[in-house]
Amino acid sequence: MAGAYASLASEATGTVPAAVESDHVPHFQETFSQPGHGGQGGQGIPGPNQAWQGYFNVLSYRPYFNVDTVDVTDRIKDSLKVDVGFVEKTSQNPDMYGPFWICSTLVFVTASLGNLAAYLSYKSKTTGGHWHYDINLMSSAALVFYGYVGLVPLALYFLLRYLGVTSGVFQLWCLYGYSLFVFIPASFLSVVPWEIVRWLVVGAASFMSAIFVGGNIRTQIRTANDRWLAIVIGTVATHLALGLVLKFYFFTYFQHDAL
Amino acid sequence: MSGIDRMNLNTSSQSDIDEIESLFNISVQPATLEVPQSVPPARKPSSPPTIPVSAPLLPPSSVSSSSQAFSTPAPAGPTLSTGFGGGPQYNTLTEPVWETLKRDLVRVSNNLKDVVLPNPYREDPGKALRDWDLWGPFFFIIFLALTLSYSASENKSKVFAVVFATLSAGAIVLTLNVQLLGGSIIFFQSLSVLGYCLFPLDVSALVCQVNNTKLFRSLVVLVALAWSSWAAYPFVSTAVPSSRKALAVYPVLLLYITVGFLVLANN
Repeated sequence: MAGAYASLASEATGTVPAAVESDHVPHFQETFSQPGHGGQGGQGIPGPNQAWQGYFNVLSYRPYFNVDTVDVTDRIKDSLKVDVGFVEKTSQNPDMYGPFWICSTLVFVTASLGNLAAYLSYKSKTTGGHWHYDINLMSSAALVFYGYVGLVPLALYFLLRYLGVTSGVFQLWCLYGYSLFVFIPASFLSVVPWEIVRWLVVGAASFMSAIFVGGNIRTQIRTANDRWLAIVIGTVATHLALGLVLKFYFFTYFQHDAL
Repeated sequence: MSGIDRMNLNTSSQSDIDEIESLFNISVQPATLEVPQSVPPARKPSSPPTIPVSAPLLPPSSVSSSSQAFSTPAPAGPTLSTGFGGGPQYNTLTEPVWETLKRDLVRVSNNLKDVVLPNPYREDPGKALRDWDLWGPFFFIIFLALTLSYSASENKSKVFAVVFATLSAGAIVLTLNVQLLGGSIIFFQSLSVLGYCLFPLDVSALVCQVNNTKLFRSLVVLVALAWSSWAAYPFVSTAVPSSRKALAVYPVLLLYITVGFLVLANN
């Protein structure tokens, strides 16, 4: 235990020695709280002799991009299979590549498919209305997705810290980022003009995603705090809320005729 | 010696200090100083301008020290590499404006040919785009944003803002992506390559103004996309380890597809 604490204290971020001594969770402290050690190149941010300047140096973030193509595709497959051991698998090497580019892909896909479906519904109607490409979809999509994946894990990290549970912010970002992948095929399927199909598809995707996130967090904090159930329910609820927002703003295309 | 003197400039691009110094040398005539007429002309002579030159007021010691610094001979050719991907070493302050513009335009067209057209050095990142510059990418991004904004029927200024922000932030993010994945590329050189690869999309945006049918637009944008991706692929893929090639190339494709879709959907 003392050895584990020594290694924890030598890294700067993402690790807080638990305020409450939890001696019955050895696996939790090893998986959730280890910062990404990465492989070649770079130290975790910031290195011990770099102080605050390390945050502004691009190379100090390299350990968080230490993934190969096969790693990324495996993690995506895990998210689609709703694998609740995801955080355990990625705790040694959380990556930021997946979350960032999945978010960017989602921004593009929802914005363009939203416009495409609005165009199709405009063409299929015989009554008037003028269709124009709605550029606001792209900027609001960026706000929604980057904001969600950026801020919700951070809030969760601070909440857990407040409750005395050790967690790693990069592992949480990794988890939330990969959980959004399932919305990409859902967006493609939502171009179909039947409301019931859209509700089913978006609902299924939201549930898969929410269970992925909730299951992983439950696995990690179940033994660390008495209020774990409330936290897990909270995360699942926020994820379902995201699905609702997506459905109403992006996937309800007929509304855009009024613009 | 009269107060105001007139002197014909040497037809090479001498600096102003060289001219003052040569005047001083003529008036004082110390034997040890090198006369700057030893600088060979670097470009073909334009019509010799004349400028009024007042008598030098500098004390001899400071002039001699500065002339020591300036008497290192300027290079014979105009293309020694300095910083910023290459550029002339001699002072270009007094050359005609057309010369400056022409030099930059020639460089932009050379870089464009290197990047966008088939060339045997494409696979070698060390040789590709040695003489990179940022004017070309700047013009292409602005042109694309202007074209899309002009042909948008609503929210013109927002379209311009979104396209410009997407392209410029996208180029920076793509470069950072390659660096973070463990690749080694020069930041501005990569920005330059990604900007030059926008040229086919610029052409397609222009062509799409002509004809508004969806089929024609789709074909044109598809061809332009394929061309852009083909141009950008070797540079990005050779910069990262081979096990991460797809990770580096996919975001480039995503960016160009995003822009292509904006071109396609504009009405």
